[in-house]
Amino acid sequence: MAASSDWGGSSALRPTRWWQMRRRSQQLAGLAYVTPTVIFLAVFFLAPLALVVRMSASRWPLLGGDKGFNLPDNYNAIADSSLFGPAVVFTIEYTILATVLLIGMGLGLALLIQAGGKWRGFIRTAVLLPSAMGLASASLLFWGLYSNQVGPINPILQAMHLTSSPIQFLEEPLSALWWTTFLIVWRFAGFYMLILLVGLQSIPRDLYEAASIDGANRWETFRHITIPLLSRSLALSFILCITGSMLAFDQFYILTQGGPDNSTMTIVQLIYHYAFQSQNLGTAAATSVVLLAILLVLNAIQFFRLRGADEAK
Amino acid sequence: MRKTLRLPALATAALIAVVGCSSSATPSVTPTIAASLAPGASAAPAEPGTDDGTRISVWTRASTQAQAQELVAAYNATHKNQVDLTIVPNDNMQAKVAAAAAGSSLPDVISGDVAFMPNWTSQGLFTDITSKIASLSFANQLTAGPIKASTVDGKEYGLPFIMDLSVWVYNKDLFTKAGLDPNKPPTTLDEYKADADAIEKLGGDVVGTEMPGECFGCEVFTWWPSIWADGGQVMNADGSAATLNTDEAKKVYTTMRSLVADTAAGDKSETGTTWIAGFEQGKVGLQPFPGSALAAIPATVNYGVTPIAGFTAGSQSTFVGGDAIGITSNSKHVDQTWNFLAWTMSDYAQVEIVAKGGNIPVRTDLASNKYSSADPRIVAVNQVAGKGVTPLAKNFGAAYNDPAGPWGILTRSALYGADDWTTKIDSQNDAITKVLAGN
Amino acid sequence: MVIRNTPFYVLSGGLAIVFLFPLAWAAIASVMATPGSAQVTGAGLGNYRALFSWQDGLPTYFMNSVIISCLTVLVTLGVSLPGGYAFAKFDFPLRNTIFLATLAILMVPVATMLIPLFVLLKVIGLQDSLIGLSLVLAMFQLPFATFMMRVSIEGVPKELEEAAKVDGCGTFGVLRKIILPAIQPGIVTVALFAFLAAWNDFITPLILISDSTKMPLALAITTMREQSIGVIDYGSLEAGVVVMAVPCLLLFFGLQGQYVRGFMSGALKG
Repeated sequence: MAASSDWGGSSALRPTRWWQMRRRSQQLAGLAYVTPTVIFLAVFFLAPLALVVRMSASRWPLLGGDKGFNLPDNYNAIADSSLFGPAVVFTIEYTILATVLLIGMGLGLALLIQAGGKWRGFIRTAVLLPSAMGLASASLLFWGLYSNQVGPINPILQAMHLTSSPIQFLEEPLSALWWTTFLIVWRFAGFYMLILLVGLQSIPRDLYEAASIDGANRWETFRHITIPLLSRSLALSFILCITGSMLAFDQFYILTQGGPDNSTMTIVQLIYHYAFQSQNLGTAAATSVVLLAILLVLNAIQFFRLRGADEAK
Repeated sequence: MRKTLRLPALATAALIAVVGCSSSATPSVTPTIAASLAPGASAAPAEPGTDDGTRISVWTRASTQAQAQELVAAYNATHKNQVDLTIVPNDNMQAKVAAAAAGSSLPDVISGDVAFMPNWTSQGLFTDITSKIASLSFANQLTAGPIKASTVDGKEYGLPFIMDLSVWVYNKDLFTKAGLDPNKPPTTLDEYKADADAIEKLGGDVVGTEMPGECFGCEVFTWWPSIWADGGQVMNADGSAATLNTDEAKKVYTTMRSLVADTAAGDKSETGTTWIAGFEQGKVGLQPFPGSALAAIPATVNYGVTPIAGFTAGSQSTFVGGDAIGITSNSKHVDQTWNFLAWTMSDYAQVEIVAKGGNIPVRTDLASNKYSSADPRIVAVNQVAGKGVTPLAKNFGAAYNDPAGPWGILTRSALYGADDWTTKIDSQNDAITKVLAGN
Repeated sequence: MVIRNTPFYVLSGGLAIVFLFPLAWAAIASVMATPGSAQVTGAGLGNYRALFSWQDGLPTYFMNSVIISCLTVLVTLGVSLPGGYAFAKFDFPLRNTIFLATLAILMVPVATMLIPLFVLLKVIGLQDSLIGLSLVLAMFQLPFATFMMRVSIEGVPKELEEAAKVDGCGTFGVLRKIILPAIQPGIVTVALFAFLAAWNDFITPLILISDSTKMPLALAITTMREQSIGVIDYGSLEAGVVVMAVPCLLLFFGLQGQYVRGFMSGALKG
C-alpha cells in the first residue's frame, strides 16, 4: 500500500523552497480530490456509525428515540443472551468452511483455466455468470431448488436411481450449513477465481521453466513458486472472504431463518433479531459494535501480515 | 468512455419517463365506475370523519394484500380522499415499522398482524380512537379480539381490518376412498388422528394430514384452539406468563407428535410457505386451514369445513387472527383517515367487498349475509368466529413468531425431539414466560 | 501446459453443468406449471403476466430499478474516481486513515446501519426518494470502488503522466487525458459492480422507500410472492428471479472482456 508517487520525483537537486511549494500544492491537490470521499464518509458512514455507537450505550425504545445513557446495560444483555455464544461459534464455523471452500475452489478453477484447453473461455464464463446475480436473488433461487415441493434435484436423482431416499437439504443443522455454503460457493467462486487468476498470470513463466529444469515435480512447483508469488492475491481473497462470511445474513435469512433449532443463527441474524423481533435497538447496536471490533482486529492482523510479506520480498 | 457518458442521459430519460408515469397514474376515476361501485353511497347519511381530497398512506402486510387492495380500490373510486397502499413483505413489517418509528415517519395507517398490536400499542405507535369507535352505530357488533388487542389502560387504539380464523378442512373424496363417512368430519382430536391414519393407508402421493415443522405461527394458529376447546389456557390474562405446560397442552402435543410419527405428516423444513398447497391439490386428507384461504381452494377439490376441536366431543374453538388497523401517532390527517377506517367497516364494504370475495366480515351482525348463505362452508366459518380467542401479549411476536424464539424450540422438541421431550416442555414454558414478561 | 485428456473434459463439463444448472432450472421452472401460481397447468407465461400486472405494473418498478442503479453508478464513480486518484498519486495528511476508514465500510453490517440512515435521510430531506436510496447504495460500494480505482490508477505508467505534464497539463488534465482512457476497464468494473449491487439490493429499499410507486424491482418481486398466511407463490418467485437476472446477465456478457481486464490491470497482481 506504499505506492505513493510524487510529482517532483527528481526534485532532490532543486532548490528546497521550490520543493516545499511543490509538496504543498501536491498535498492541496490530493486533499481536493479526496474531498468527495471524505464528505461521503462523514455523512453516510461515520455519522450513522456514531449513532449506532450512541444507541449501543443508551436506552432506545422504538418510538421517541434516546432516553439517556444506560452503559453498560446493552452490552451486558449480549453476555446474558443464550443466543450470542452459539451465534459466534456458528459464524466462525461457517466462516472457516466458506473460506476454505471458496478459496480452494477459486484456486482450483484458476489453475484449471490457466492450464488452458479449448473450453477455458466457456468454463470461465459459466463460473462467472452466477456472480452477476444478487445474493438475495441467488438465495431465493436456491430456496426453490432445495424445496421439497418444487425442487428438481431429488426427482432427478431418483429418476437416475442415484438415491433411494430424498436428500434433506435444510432439515438438519449440518446439512443446512453445507447446502447454504454450497450456494455461496456457487455464487462467489467465480469472483475469487478471477482474483487468483490475475495473480497466477502475473507469475513470470521463466520461473516455472527454471523449476522444471531443476527437476521439481508439480507439487514442489506449486508449493515453492505458485503459492509464495500468489501471496498478495491470496491475502486479499482471505480478507474479503472472512469479512464477508462473518457478516453473513441474506443467505441464512432466506434459506434457513436461523433454523433448524437456531443452529444456523449468524451474528448478523442475531442483530436483526434483536432490532426487529425483540425491538431492542440498544442491544442490536451493541452487538454490531462488538462485531465491528472483532472484524477490525481480524483485518488488522491480516493487513499487517500482508505488509510483513511485502517487506520480506 | 462512451458507455459511461451515456449513463446520465439514460438516467435523465428514465427520470422523465417515471415522473410522467406517476403523474398520469394519479387516480382519475370515471363517474360511471364510481356510481356502479357504490350505488347507495351518495344517498347514504354523512359518513364519519372528513372526505376532503387528502392523500392517506396505508401500510399493510403482503399476506393480506388481496383483500386490502380491493378495499382501497373501492374506497378510492368513491371518495375524494385517496389511499396510497404500500404492501410490505410479512417478515419485514417489524423492521420497516421500527425504522419509520425511529424517524417519526410512520404512515397514516398501519395494518398489521393482530398479534403485534399489544406491542405496537404499548410503544405508543397509535392514536387513541376510543370515542371515535364508540360513535359508530355498529360499535358493539365489531369483533372484539382485535380491539382488545389494541387496548391499553382502557383506551382503544385499533380496529379489526381483515379477519382470519383457523378451522379444520377435510377432503370428502379421500374420506370416501378411505371408507370414512364424508359427512362425518372429526369432532375430537382423537377422531382427527384416526381419520388421518385411515387416509394415510391409501398410499400413493396421498398423505393423512399436514404439519409444517418450521412454521411456529402456524402451530400457534392451529394447536391452541384444541387447548382452548377443552377449557385450557395458553397464557395468563395479561399475557405475561405462559401456561403451555399444562396437562391439556401436553395431551395436544402428544397427538401432534403421533401424527408426525404415524402419518409422515408434513415436512420438517416447511416454514409455512406451501403448507396448504397439498390440500389444494387434493393430496391431503384433512388439516388445519386458514379461513381466509378457503376461497383459493380450487373447485376440483371436494372439501368440507369443521371447527377445530379438543378431546371432548362437541368442544370447539378457533384462533381469531388476521390484521388489525390503527391510525398512527405520526398521522396529520386523523379525521380523513378515520373516514377511510369507518368506511371499511360499513355495511357496503363488509358485504359487497369482503363477504362477496369469500372473506369473513369483521362485524358479527353481518356474519350471515346474502353471499355467505350461498355456501354452507362459509357459514360454518363465520359461526365459529364467536367461539374464538385472540390471545393477547405485549411480547407475542418475540415469544411465538420469532423463528429463534422459545416456542419454536418447544414445538420442535414436541414434534421431533427425543423420547424425553416432555421434560423440555416445562423448561421452554419458563423460557416463554421470561420473554413474555420482559420489556 | 495444455492438458488434453478425458478427466479434464469430464471435470470441466461437470463444473459447467453445476454452475449453469440452477440458472437453467429457474428459467424452465418459471414457465412450467406450479401449484398455487398463476400457471397451474401446462407451460406458458402465466407467471410473467401476473408479475407484469402486479400493483403499479412491472414497467414502473423496472424503471425505478434502472434509475436507482444508474444513479448509484454515477455517484460511485463520481466519488471513487477522484478518491482513487488522490490515494494513488498524492501524498496528503491522513491519507492512510481516510483510506482505511473507506475500507471499514465493508465491516459494518448493513442491517445495523439502516435505522440511522433512515433518520439521516430524513434530516437532509432525501427521505423516501430514489436519490437518497442511491446515495446510500453508493456508500456501500465505496470500499470496492475506491480500492479498484486506486490499484488501477497506480498501474498507469509514470512515463505517460510525465509526458503530459511536460505538455503543460495540470493534475486534472492528467486525470482527464491520461488516466481516464488508461483505466477504462477498471471504470467499467466498478460501474458494473455498482449497477449489479444496486439492481439486486432488496433490504435497503425495503427500509428506505415507502412510496409504492418508487419501489425497485427486487422489492416488488419479494413482496408479490407472498400470499396469505406466509404461503409462497413459487411460480412468480422463479419468474421474478429470471426477470431480475436477465438484465444482469446481459450486461455481464456484454462487458465480460472489460471486466476481466479491469481485474488484470493494476496492483491486484502478484
